[in-house]
Amino acid sequence: MSRILTTYFGELEYADSAVFQFPYGLPGFEKERAFLFVQQPQTEPLMFLQSLGEPGLCFILLPILVADANYKIVLDAEDLAALHFPPDRQPVIGEDILCAAIVHAGDSEQAGPTANLLAPVVVNLKERIGIQVIRADTAYSHRHPIIADKEMAPCS
Amino acid sequence: MKRRAGESFTIGDDIEIEVLEVAGTRVKLGIRAPDSMLIVRKEARITREENITAARSLDPEAVADLVHRLWRQTKITP
Repeated sequence: MSRILTTYFGELEYADSAVFQFPYGLPGFEKERAFLFVQQPQTEPLMFLQSLGEPGLCFILLPILVADANYKIVLDAEDLAALHFPPDRQPVIGEDILCAAIVHAGDSEQAGPTANLLAPVVVNLKERIGIQVIRADTAYSHRHPIIADKEMAPCS
Repeated sequence: MKRRAGESFTIGDDIEIEVLEVAGTRVKLGIRAPDSMLIVRKEARITREENITAARSLDPEAVADLVHRLWRQTKITP
């Protein structure tokens, strides 16, 4: 077992086999190649992508189908190769791959919490390799609101 | 400006953009620019900026609030 002292979770103990490799890092954080997925009962359905190289770097993730139940993604040959998948078959979300959106929790400049559906994190669950796929189409927003407006309506 | 495959245009003194191929809705471009210039797809730039601000948004209070709102929303929408 290894340990890391993180900014948000304190000390985390993990098996080396639980580490996910991101061979290209994530855009903006290209040097960070090793991450842990952190899940805690009190923050379900959110997950966290904690960098092992930078204890203060952690992303909030939301499973893509929670953000949008109808979300569809087609990985191109380059993405499939990066994830060590054969080029002739699309992996299935939840079976072969974990697909999750990076969440912006919101701040004073940006009204509500949003999820980046333009560029989901996609992970080969068996090989434990991940990339951030940047879609070439404009079907999904990089600031998809994850809290519906009607939430604000008073209960009657 | 209208250009066909094989034709090019320049931006300033150092940048040349050539239309290499037009196939259906896709256009293949060749870009000649100084090494110091970073050339990325716009989506990649947006993703980079969004990743940086999203990473800064992790705050235990904001996360607790978000979880609370997500669960409340699930109860409202069956």
